[in-house]
Amino acid sequence: MISKFLLAVGLAILMVVSGTTSYIYVGSRQSKVVAPPQKPIAATPRAQAFSLPGTIYIAQAGALYSFSAGRFHQLTPEAGWTQPALSPDGNTLIAVKRVGMYSDVYFLTRYGGIAGQLTNNAAPPRSSWDTGANAWSFYPRLSPDQRTLWMSYDGPKAAGNGYFDVDMSVWAVPVGGSIRQGRSWTSPNNYTGGDMQPIPLPSGGVIYTKYSYDSDGDRVGQLWFTNRAGSAGTALTSTAADCAQPSLSPDGRNMAMICTYKKQISYLTIASWNGSGLGPLKTVVSDQLVAQPAWAPDGSGIAYLAPGGPAAPFQLWFLAKNAYNPPPPSPIPTPSPSPGGPHNGPLPSPTPSPAPVAPVIKPIQVTANLGFDATSPIAWLG
Amino acid sequence: MRPGHRARRSRGRLSPFRTITLAALAIALSAVAGGFAYFIPAAATAIQATGQVVNIPSPSPTDILFSPSPSPIPVAPGGPFTVLLLGSDDDSKFSADHVLTQSMILVRVIPATKEVTMLSIPRDLYVQGYGKIDGAYSYGGAGTAIAVVQQNFGVHINDYIWVGLLGLIKVIDAIGGIDVVTSNPVMDDYYPQDIFSANPYGLQRVAVLAGPQHLDGIHAMEYVRSRHSDLQSDFGRSKRQQQVLQAIRLKAKQLAPSDIPAMAAAIGGELKTSIGLDRVAQLVPLAATFDNPDSIRQVLLLPPYTHGGGPGGSVTPNWNLILPLVHQYFP
Repeated sequence: MISKFLLAVGLAILMVVSGTTSYIYVGSRQSKVVAPPQKPIAATPRAQAFSLPGTIYIAQAGALYSFSAGRFHQLTPEAGWTQPALSPDGNTLIAVKRVGMYSDVYFLTRYGGIAGQLTNNAAPPRSSWDTGANAWSFYPRLSPDQRTLWMSYDGPKAAGNGYFDVDMSVWAVPVGGSIRQGRSWTSPNNYTGGDMQPIPLPSGGVIYTKYSYDSDGDRVGQLWFTNRAGSAGTALTSTAADCAQPSLSPDGRNMAMICTYKKQISYLTIASWNGSGLGPLKTVVSDQLVAQPAWAPDGSGIAYLAPGGPAAPFQLWFLAKNAYNPPPPSPIPTPSPSPGGPHNGPLPSPTPSPAPVAPVIKPIQVTANLGFDATSPIAWLG
Repeated sequence: MRPGHRARRSRGRLSPFRTITLAALAIALSAVAGGFAYFIPAAATAIQATGQVVNIPSPSPTDILFSPSPSPIPVAPGGPFTVLLLGSDDDSKFSADHVLTQSMILVRVIPATKEVTMLSIPRDLYVQGYGKIDGAYSYGGAGTAIAVVQQNFGVHINDYIWVGLLGLIKVIDAIGGIDVVTSNPVMDDYYPQDIFSANPYGLQRVAVLAGPQHLDGIHAMEYVRSRHSDLQSDFGRSKRQQQVLQAIRLKAKQLAPSDIPAMAAAIGGELKTSIGLDRVAQLVPLAATFDNPDSIRQVLLLPPYTHGGGPGGSVTPNWNLILPLVHQYFP
């Protein structure tokens, strides 16, 4: 028997605890899709399920990170850094720093220290009132001889022209020189955003993504190749395939890209490259929103970015080489005459054995909950 | 102890069975109350935002022949319905009740066949009495916007949903961003810097790069709002707006009921609709069943349905072409 007073006090406490617990429990059932991405170094050292060869350089929320032996290291502060690329000798990084209304290309050490500024795109003080007097540099690359900076660039523009069309073109600028010593290699189509993501080739030409209006009036991407400044060059892909973000394999014989076929999807696509044209396009990943493919330096596969789940931030994925380049099937054994003398009869035909079913190789999700910048290419050092 | 004293003491006590029953009841009630309490702010926002009363006036200030109706046409249960989506600049350039509609999208939903048709109305479309159609909301709120669209397009609108610019940014952030494939780089050197700026007439540069990406609210807004670098101007922008709406719908399908209060807090006063709370409750599960992107039809009034050169920089409609098209999808 409990007194009513004690019971009332006990019940009141119980109700407060129960109500509060219920409130907190319901609140804790929020879906994970609204949770902001973690910083890659949030739990360093972080055990990764899968470790890639070499070192990957990648961008998240305005900071550059390196990823090697299953661990991330933050190279720069979150200050607008994006689009890292390695110098051909692998000793230096170049990257874009995007600040407010302009972006510039910098040399960085492989540990993230600034080693030099290659462009100067802020509006000059006399025309700082005009937003259009600033310029963007995006997708920098160094030529194989490391003497030329290739990039997409929207300048130079006359201050105060009030011109609404902003189209990037592919520029080649001597490293250490000014933009006045540079040269525009391509002529962008008006009101498309222009020409992006140049890939300089050892032959001296350049592959890039050109945006244009197709016959339906839709804007689409196409890979183009040109080997002479100012020449139109040749289209490598059709407007119907809507391809972009080219990446050349380390041996220079294959191209990876993404193709959307004008839908809200993107396929990881590869094709052979013979120095002037592409072979047939082959889709190797078709069920993800793929971005920024990059070949492994040792040829073991392709890394790319794709959401970790439906409508989620982009994670790092890896597709092993066997998924798109399976080893040739073992040859059918031919009968060999057994020793012991001539054989007059017909040779026995080999017993046909069922063809071995190649195992389906699926992409491997390397990270979770990180949210990388899917407009920033992946740089990969062997 | 005396018998009378014992009786008084026993009246002040409860048996163990009754005590346990009371305790269980108290726990159950308080747990339910605690759960409900979590949703109270969301319910308050929902009550505030939904069931807005709309008075549809004469469609034109000069047209007195059109008989006013008190509210949009009610929807038959389970039947098809048409909603007018309105998106406005609601920055400090304008007074709160007199904002232009940057975006007007007619949406027809047929629950039986799970078909959705989205018709983007160019904001610069010339209509009698108002000039550009984006001024209708500014002139007389949602009722006038509905009246103008009904009168000119010959459609029956059941409900409207209005979202402010800031609301769209906050909603996209509240749901954790959206995934879109931007078809091309969207570059704009003269984009309005009016959302988080002290000077609502300021300008900024925008560069939304091309390809698949995860956009937060600000960048999604830049993507759908920029029009200076688009040869199709407002039409290109309408296409991007429909793309983002579909991305929001896809993301919303991943959410849990516990996410609702955070979203409601984000939306705040940035959303108004004539749809009642009871119908919202019916529509949410219905929306989740629309899982085939191909069943969503997107219609834009590109030339020859419209052409430029109208009065005051407006877009001139070719009603002879527009009306049959509209009646095909919005009977």
